[in-house]
Amino acid sequence: MSDVYDDSDAVDDANRAVGGVSKNVLTYLAKAIVEDAESVVVETEERRNAVTLRLHVGPSDMGRVIGRRGRVAQAIRSVVRAAGAKEGVDATVDIVD
Amino acid sequence: MQWVEVTGRTVEEAKEAALDQLGVDEQDAEFEILEEPKSGLFGRLRSEARVRARVVPTAPRPKVERRERRRGSRERGGSRERRPSSGGGQRAETARKGQTTVTTDEPQVHVKPPTLAQEADVAKDFLQGLLDAFGLDGDVDSQELDEDTVEVSVHGSDLGLLIGPKGQTLTSVQELTRTVVQRKLGARSGRLLVDVADYRKARREALERFATGVAAKVRDAGVATALEPMSPADRKVVHDTVNAIDGVTTTSEGEEPNRRVVILPQS
Repeated sequence: MSDVYDDSDAVDDANRAVGGVSKNVLTYLAKAIVEDAESVVVETEERRNAVTLRLHVGPSDMGRVIGRRGRVAQAIRSVVRAAGAKEGVDATVDIVD
Repeated sequence: MQWVEVTGRTVEEAKEAALDQLGVDEQDAEFEILEEPKSGLFGRLRSEARVRARVVPTAPRPKVERRERRRGSRERGGSRERRPSSGGGQRAETARKGQTTVTTDEPQVHVKPPTLAQEADVAKDFLQGLLDAFGLDGDVDSQELDEDTVEVSVHGSDLGLLIGPKGQTLTSVQELTRTVVQRKLGARSGRLLVDVADYRKARREALERFATGVAAKVRDAGVATALEPMSPADRKVVHDTVNAIDGVTTTSEGEEPNRRVVILPQS
């Protein structure tokens, strides 16, 4: 599966790790939404069939990743969960301040 | 610029429903209260609050200013390029007597609203990047469904996980796409829909067939028929489909999330 990616080494490497797809997807989404993309950091904690992803963003971007009534955060969680499903892990997202 | 008109038990409820329909945050929308709710005897509701709203074609302000948005916060703010508003016409048409107007204060400073094509381009880039992040192969293209609506659609194999149960993941993908377009362009003008593997298209076509069938019965029997509650997007499909048919018309009734379309014979 992982040898079909030829567009980015970073993507390639991340997808090989457990929870790599979810981490890629979360990182991509967060950077697309925030203003300060350099402050986006995603830490992962892997268990057997689950991965917890901790998303850190700059303080001024917290509101952007959460959104009105948490709608953006909810959408991020749902898409990252789908990414986890692709690699057979239960992916949950914590937004850390 | 597209306005949406919604009703609710209270003004707040109506505004909330309008924001959901527009898919934007409160600070990106402008409202007009067309009618306050009236209550009848014993607190029964005589008429609902009616509010209309649209996406403000203005660059977003920094977050700290949002609290004061009622009071001319639009004049301040930012180094972004702006030009003075040229169109007072749109607001003039909405001034009706005896109404409370909660619209953003004058003078309004607008940036040029992005075109649907620009919105579609940003959306396509974002979705292509999302496919890459997922490690999925697919093509993304766009189509203007009408003058206010553009649909960006993703085609490829194994895209089911981007749709999810009952299209829930697709709804989230659409929400995020709209958010990104809003951030990148500073404003949105039209409606932006996202489709994956023709999921929405198939549903829309099924809904059109269904609505056409019900409309034919209503016209022949002369009896109004209420449909099941539907989302605002689905109701729009029904309204558009039925109102293109002679001899029938539509209205909506009820409160979100139980709001439904009623198909009526046209007198």
